[in-house]
Amino acid sequence: MTMKMTRRTMLQGAVAGAATLATLRATTADASGYGGTLRVGLSYEIDTMNVYSTGYLGDAQATIVEGLVAPNDKADYVPVLALEVPTLENGGIVLSDDKKTMTVTYKLRPGVTWHDGKPFTSADVKYTWEAVKDPAFIAESKDGTADIDSIETPDDLTAICHYNKVSPDFKSTLFTFGIMPKHLLEGTDLNTSSYNQTPVGTGPFMATEFQQGQYVVCKRNPNYWDKAANGDQLPYLDEIIFYMLPDTNTMITQLKSGEIDMIVRTPYNQAAQIAMIPGMEIIKGPLLSWQHVDFNFRNPLLADLAVRQAFAHTIDRSVLIKAQGGFPEAIKSVVVPVFALYDDTTPSYDLDPAKAAKILDDAGYTMGGDGVRAKGGQRLSFKFVVSAGLSDDENVQQIIMAQMKAVGIELVPDNQAGVAYREARYKGNYDLIYGRWITSADPVYSVFYGTDGPNNGQAYSNPKLDAVFDTLEHSLDPAVRKQSSSEMQHIIAEDLPTIPLTTNVAVIAKVKKLMNFVPNPTNMTNFVHTAEWYMEG
Amino acid sequence: MSLTFLIKRLAGAIPLLLGISLILFAIIHLAPGGPTDVYADNPSVSPEALQQIITRFGLDKPVPEQYLLWLKAMVTGDWGLSIRTGRGVLGEILARLGPTLQLGGMAMGISLIVALPLGTYCAARRGSRLDTALTFLSFAGISLPVFWSALLLQLVFSVWLGILPSAGMKSIGDGSLIDRLQHLAMPVTVLSLATIASWSRYIRSGMVDVLAQDYIRTAYAKGRREWGVVIAHALRNAMIPAVTVIAIDFVTIISGAVITETVFAWPGIGRLFVESMNGRDYPMLMGLMMMGSFGVVMANIIADIIYAALDPRIRHG
Amino acid sequence: MVDISPSLAPPRARRPLGQAVARFRRHRMAMGGLVFLVAMGLIVVFAPFFLPYTYDGQDFNFIGSPGAMSAQHWLGTDELGRDALTRLVYGGRVSLGVGLLGAVISTVLGTAIGAVSGFYRGLVDIVLMRFTDVMLSIPTLPLVLLLSTFFRPSPVLLIGIVGGLIWMGTARLVRAQFLALREREYVEAARALGAGGARLMFRHILPNAVGPISVAATLAVGTSIMMESGLSFLGFGILPPVPTWGNLLNAASAWLGIAPWLAIPPGLCIFCTVLAVNFVGEGLRDALEPRL
Repeated sequence: MTMKMTRRTMLQGAVAGAATLATLRATTADASGYGGTLRVGLSYEIDTMNVYSTGYLGDAQATIVEGLVAPNDKADYVPVLALEVPTLENGGIVLSDDKKTMTVTYKLRPGVTWHDGKPFTSADVKYTWEAVKDPAFIAESKDGTADIDSIETPDDLTAICHYNKVSPDFKSTLFTFGIMPKHLLEGTDLNTSSYNQTPVGTGPFMATEFQQGQYVVCKRNPNYWDKAANGDQLPYLDEIIFYMLPDTNTMITQLKSGEIDMIVRTPYNQAAQIAMIPGMEIIKGPLLSWQHVDFNFRNPLLADLAVRQAFAHTIDRSVLIKAQGGFPEAIKSVVVPVFALYDDTTPSYDLDPAKAAKILDDAGYTMGGDGVRAKGGQRLSFKFVVSAGLSDDENVQQIIMAQMKAVGIELVPDNQAGVAYREARYKGNYDLIYGRWITSADPVYSVFYGTDGPNNGQAYSNPKLDAVFDTLEHSLDPAVRKQSSSEMQHIIAEDLPTIPLTTNVAVIAKVKKLMNFVPNPTNMTNFVHTAEWYMEG
Repeated sequence: MSLTFLIKRLAGAIPLLLGISLILFAIIHLAPGGPTDVYADNPSVSPEALQQIITRFGLDKPVPEQYLLWLKAMVTGDWGLSIRTGRGVLGEILARLGPTLQLGGMAMGISLIVALPLGTYCAARRGSRLDTALTFLSFAGISLPVFWSALLLQLVFSVWLGILPSAGMKSIGDGSLIDRLQHLAMPVTVLSLATIASWSRYIRSGMVDVLAQDYIRTAYAKGRREWGVVIAHALRNAMIPAVTVIAIDFVTIISGAVITETVFAWPGIGRLFVESMNGRDYPMLMGLMMMGSFGVVMANIIADIIYAALDPRIRHG
Repeated sequence: MVDISPSLAPPRARRPLGQAVARFRRHRMAMGGLVFLVAMGLIVVFAPFFLPYTYDGQDFNFIGSPGAMSAQHWLGTDELGRDALTRLVYGGRVSLGVGLLGAVISTVLGTAIGAVSGFYRGLVDIVLMRFTDVMLSIPTLPLVLLLSTFFRPSPVLLIGIVGGLIWMGTARLVRAQFLALREREYVEAARALGAGGARLMFRHILPNAVGPISVAATLAVGTSIMMESGLSFLGFGILPPVPTWGNLLNAASAWLGIAPWLAIPPGLCIFCTVLAVNFVGEGLRDALEPRL
């Protein structure tokens, strides 16, 4: 079964941060040559190749469709179809006099053509916004479209976007996902267009064949705009083929039999087996993501801090990590340690089941004859949701269940698959839920823990925290942000709406001869820059 | 066999199909949450867009009216729109039907070719050591979990021996028959294992009954050689009880070779069903279930026609 | 999938039970199957009392990858350090339980509907048989899948779903028997003597339909077990940590390359049990509906 990871699960980026001169370029030496086919196994069935309507991360799409900017391996935004990333410093972003709205100007890369040979212009940028915004278009992600009032295109290579607010996250959505060709799509119904199977983009590879439920063939774009540092015309690979293999066992069989060269989301517990396959290697890539267990405050027993503290003192992260092949790392804050805003003084809970038992005793939860504590006839028995069929998650669930059982808390699994899991998560149809969030480079945490946060399915509300969010997310002053970020981490750690357990890392299995591969930690997938990948030998 | 019989049977199928559609519609509406819940808490989908979706799928109408609308779409149109892909359900199903028919047809053909002589032989040599062995084997075939035998085949033929592709329907850029057959080999084997086993049982028991009939004894008495009797006189009649089973099994494979198609990444109906279930794609699920049910109803009618063709004593009309 | 509609053989004269038992005992495969099933039943019911582990007890020393077979863990440990033998035995409880109770439900449902339909005929018959036709026409596995996603199955719910969807063959069979038997002289005689509907059905007609019913019921056990394993494979079965042979086999499949000792026992258990059930069914058919 597949895990549905969608762009929605990402956070919004912030406008802060200097313009970066970095590019997506890999740092490796010269490529030895052109040619070769890379065969990638995807664990899900691609629903549509349209980056705005797919319910999954757009792995295959990223080789075909390009945006104006894209995050690189360090999660910094770098220019792609734009010549530079707009910032306040370079004049790309201009705040209005009242500081309530902003204008973002993109200078577009000249000489870029669509896969059909027509030139890429600012009209395409404007069309993309209009098309995605159109309510008749059923999209998974329309993030950012409502923030723009109008787009001006004074010439073919300039797009001026008038935002109706100061939108710190403008880079992480809309134009980053991809630009759509106006000349092919204008006046068509995007819901049923053939674009959804074989999109025409500007990327290093062209979609030549899409077979529903089977594979997507992406062939080399000979007219790609980018060149390697040594002057080589990019890309190197002849083609990338994405195979849809919904059964994990089959995917691993195909790695063993040499029918595919790469998978990007290896189950942790399978990595050791794959590493033994000759010619294969496992690459641990960072992800802006963490794994956590959340409490539902609609349940009065879980609204009791003592119960949540008992969880925090009982769950042994080292066992969880061991069960996940040793890949994830223990964390104590919702801010993953790679971020500058991470505060190492965030309080943690020592692993001490005896203390947990005492906390529960003191709070009046006495052990019942059935091994489950209760107070006033209310048993500490909770419905525990994880994503069904994900062996790693189900293992974590069973370990937590066993650990909590030891202190007299009963957890009953209620695992859900696909959309049902997402629905449970957003609607709070659980007592406890285990899962992960993936964020962009500058995460906004109010979407998860703010009273009105769209991803807050746990009915958690803390006015003090809301106030901190308000400061944090409306300030561009690094000192203020650092201060309030620390406050946020302390409040969450003390109030315990969620227990951050471990980091989430990408375990990528690939053939050793694939060179120049650089894992990308963001929601734009590892395939956001495939132009310089090549096969050795 | 007359035309009126056929028309009568087909007309009789209509209330049956209506009944099926009502029950399925009820079951789908029993499901917790509605189809738009997929979007309901997605902040990217504005209330305005949500309303568009609701109107598009006709979800704002009262349930009986929704049923009638859906019925109309089934009879005259595209069977409604898939929530997952936004395209017409009928088109999506037809796109998946081809691969499934290939897989199912091949598996059925091979099963028949193997099961027929197997069952016949066992019946004619009832109680012999070979009959016992084959009986044992056919029960073994029924008792093997499909995903387990699939996994073992992949391990042996793809990983160890490296002679068969472990999944998929064809190699890219290779349209040759050999390539297709290589891809078919393992899924067809897995599907055939169970059907060969069960069909040969049915043919065997039908044959055992027939061989005991008077007319067969008469044929023997007239001095016909044994296999001549078996093939010329008995087989036709022995097939009759197996016909329904074969027809229904065929439909079962078409509507639900879910496990085989998942393991072998076969882009057929079964996969579409699982994907639609994970995506809560109710219109698609309704379409798939109706297609399967329609198949069963038609299979029964066809089986009746074959009865009549095989057994001259049966006269409908 | 196992087909569960046995041939609609015409009812035969009632034979003494002893003769049937004797015939069954002569059927070597069937006797073998029966002995196996009884032994398996005893093991899964009583063995847990002798095993030192619980099915969800994790040994932290073994977490991460499967443990090899050893004196402490005869069948090794799974990737969460749980004793594989213990889980296999508990899994057997659940799988056999689902199989048996699923069969019981389908048999009771099928017999009741078939009996009422065949006995009263007329409108009742038409309504019930049309309903049976409808249920028979909806492909079973997809419907089971659909229901198990809507209602995540606990063992009890799964039994209900499986049993509730495979009764139709039995219903048709029983109805056919009733239609044929209700006109028999002895039934006429009983009716003339004033026997009521229920008494006629249960005392006079049902016993004569026991043969085909028991064959169908036996085969339903196999169908239910196979269905459970298929659901587990697709991720819609009974949730861990409760073990079933199906979810044990599915979880162990991932480790087939490095720990085959985990996958083989549950696979063998499913295979042998369903095989045994089918043998017993075959033996019953021969014993209760003898041909010649």
